Amino acid sequence: MRLNPMEAVGVLMVISLALVAVFAPMIAPHDPVRAVANTFGDPGAPSSAFLLGTDQLGRDVLSRIIFGARISLTVGVAAMLVTIIIGVTIGLLSGFFGGAIDFVLMRFTDVMLTLPALLLAMAFVSVLRPSLLSILIVIGLVSWTGVARVVRAETLSMAQRDFVLAARALGAPPERLIVRHVIPNVMPIIVVMAVLGTSGTLLLDAGLSFLGLGVPPPAPSWGRMIEEATTYFRTAPWLAVFPGIAIFYAVLGFNLLGYGYLRRRGRESVSQPAASQ
Amino acid sequence: MTAVNRELLRRSTVPSRDGNRSGKYRDEGAKLSALLLLLLTSLLSIASSGCRGRPWALQFAPGAKVLHLASRDDIPTLDPVAGYDTASWAFEQMLFDTLVRYSDSGVDLVPDAATRWESSADARTFTFHLRPDIRFSNGRAVTSSDFKYEIERVLDPANNSQGIEYYRSIAGAEQYSSGRAKAVAGIDTPDRWTIIFHLTAPDPIFLAKVAMPFAAAVPREMVARYGGDFSRHALGSGPFMLKEWKSGQRIALVKNPYYFVKGIPKLDAVIEQMGVDDNLEWLKYETGEIDISAIPPAEFPYVMKTPPLKALTLKLVMLATDYLGMNCQMPPFTDIRVRRAFNYAINKDKFIAVFNRRGVPASGILPPGLPGYDRAIQGYPYDPAKARQLLEQAGILKNFTPQLWLRADETQMMLAQSIQQDLALVGVHVRLKPVAWPPLLEAIRQPGTVQLELSGWEADFPDPENFLEVLFARTQWAANNNSFYYNARADGLFAQAARVTDMKERYTIYDEAQKIIVGDAPWVFLYYPVAYVIRQPWVHDYVLNPMRPTRLERVWLDPHPERP
Repeated sequence: MRLNPMEAVGVLMVISLALVAVFAPMIAPHDPVRAVANTFGDPGAPSSAFLLGTDQLGRDVLSRIIFGARISLTVGVAAMLVTIIIGVTIGLLSGFFGGAIDFVLMRFTDVMLTLPALLLAMAFVSVLRPSLLSILIVIGLVSWTGVARVVRAETLSMAQRDFVLAARALGAPPERLIVRHVIPNVMPIIVVMAVLGTSGTLLLDAGLSFLGLGVPPPAPSWGRMIEEATTYFRTAPWLAVFPGIAIFYAVLGFNLLGYGYLRRRGRESVSQPAASQ
Repeated sequence: MTAVNRELLRRSTVPSRDGNRSGKYRDEGAKLSALLLLLLTSLLSIASSGCRGRPWALQFAPGAKVLHLASRDDIPTLDPVAGYDTASWAFEQMLFDTLVRYSDSGVDLVPDAATRWESSADARTFTFHLRPDIRFSNGRAVTSSDFKYEIERVLDPANNSQGIEYYRSIAGAEQYSSGRAKAVAGIDTPDRWTIIFHLTAPDPIFLAKVAMPFAAAVPREMVARYGGDFSRHALGSGPFMLKEWKSGQRIALVKNPYYFVKGIPKLDAVIEQMGVDDNLEWLKYETGEIDISAIPPAEFPYVMKTPPLKALTLKLVMLATDYLGMNCQMPPFTDIRVRRAFNYAINKDKFIAVFNRRGVPASGILPPGLPGYDRAIQGYPYDPAKARQLLEQAGILKNFTPQLWLRADETQMMLAQSIQQDLALVGVHVRLKPVAWPPLLEAIRQPGTVQLELSGWEADFPDPENFLEVLFARTQWAANNNSFYYNARADGLFAQAARVTDMKERYTIYDEAQKIIVGDAPWVFLYYPVAYVIRQPWVHDYVLNPMRPTRLERVWLDPHPERP
């Protein structure tokens, strides 16, 4: 398998991110939660001792970003899985069976699409209490609509293909048709949606954290780091800029990977999952 | 004397005057609604851009001395019967007069509407003599019956005044409140310039109670005309009068031509813009658009390092104490060793540094400057080793993860995380529970609900009773005693002090009570907040008061062409 340059860069970025997340305790120079510098109330600028500076609680920004990768990736990937499970199920059922099932499921999807994902997620999180699990479930619950629609469209066209008709003529039951014939053929598009969706869920997680609804402190999360830095933006921009770059890097990595893959498959675009804002 | 909502409102206040504390009231809901509001207003402004005028234009003569202020929130009310927060009081004290008031920069009582007063030796009868030249801003003379009328309004349950508790000790107040009497028998107005209060029990701090804006002179005919809408048409005898109040946008006060001190106020008008958050307030200060500003945490170090700016700052230790409350009825905080361990474990010095040293480390309950403050009370030093040892003795080091409730805003979160860091070092892993202010207030009153709370208390009047009995008496459980503290000896001392009219003796009794409570450690005594504001170089005689909002009638301005 030959990767195109876009894909290759994407793969490198995502793998590097994953390595950082997995080996965070070994890579991070300091404890991300404890005070390691005496910069209380007056954040410390980047220096040789603290490459990305320290925040107003004396914590090392670099270590927090490194540990933050764990949370961001966990939430991003797990929420993406929730998204894909819900979206693919609804899309497959809707596209394959059509008729009343299709109508009900798609109208429900339309209703969900009209609600802004971020606001809906905020409403959910406010009701549940913020925790890693609740965050990723909520993000999954609000971002499956795009996946469902794309999968439904693909399934509709698959269901009309000759090989599916042939299998049906041979008496194959619906579950066998779906599992053996439809899913393998919509799989590529699901993979693309999953990869692109991860960047969307990452952003949504950062957005929720920024609004104070993310994974609760002291766990370092990129969105919360930016939120805590807002008041210092004019005097200590590094507090917000570096986590911002981290989010940018992660989102870009997943996007390059997804679009590169699409390009190799000869498709230029696919409608975006609804998660991004 | 339960001040059920005292804290709610008093805490929501200090805002516009002090950056740090103002932050405290911000919650996530507010952030969200601010976001929505922003969207809406930007849409509206696009829609209305066709008919653009100068919505902010208020006409003043050229050269008029106008003081410009800014605040985030609207003023809750201007009706003295209802106001019980610093934002309301800041304006009420400009619009209305009380019999006596606090001096501009201190907590000593000085004449206001009354030129002199006497109290009987048993502290049960208080006589005030009004100045004859005092008038409402519509020109009508103020008489003693206007003061009586306002206290009757406060005592009338229909008005739902939170001040009602302060005047219940007046003879006949209960009969009046319950509708069995047409007037309060214990308030005499023998002539237009004399008012006499008869109390059912001695009250050595009654003067402080009539200095509260609840007891200001209010014109009966205006209340009759506007009814519940009096707040919107507030009119009193104070140095200023209300010119315009557009909710959430701005309020404008102008000079009261009838004010009884000649040449006062020195300003022609005061305008406060609303909906301005701390950071925007600072930007407006930098451009010269407003005259007095809080200093946002991020700018604070810069201001203090820049001598010309530092010279423009004002600071004052407030009559307030911020603390970490521990629920003495919820295990393991029933164990005094655990409570003391928490006191030793928290590094107050670092804690205060996190918000730019805008606080003095607390050693006890009463803040310095409050009568009865005792510098001999040393509190608890930072000693994590001792904390760990105490926790081990109490046998709770394993998997102890108490929950800390706090108001959901940036500064509070930062402070809570500092506490979280310190306690983690002694093996206690605190979970944070940030909630909006009203539900927090509700939760801390419920028995057995909140283990730890980050909170604070501000003096209503300069007396130890206002801290000690209100916050630690058994009768205040489920009201203001949110640490559910009980010590029979302390309660006994409260009862004893209430009967004593000699101030020195009272302070001695309260001092003993304070020592007992500090020893029992129902709080981690964190810090006494320090208010900081910065003025423009052309603003003079702006002074801070440790307990009340700044009075503006003596403030004066240089000509300042810098203003855009």
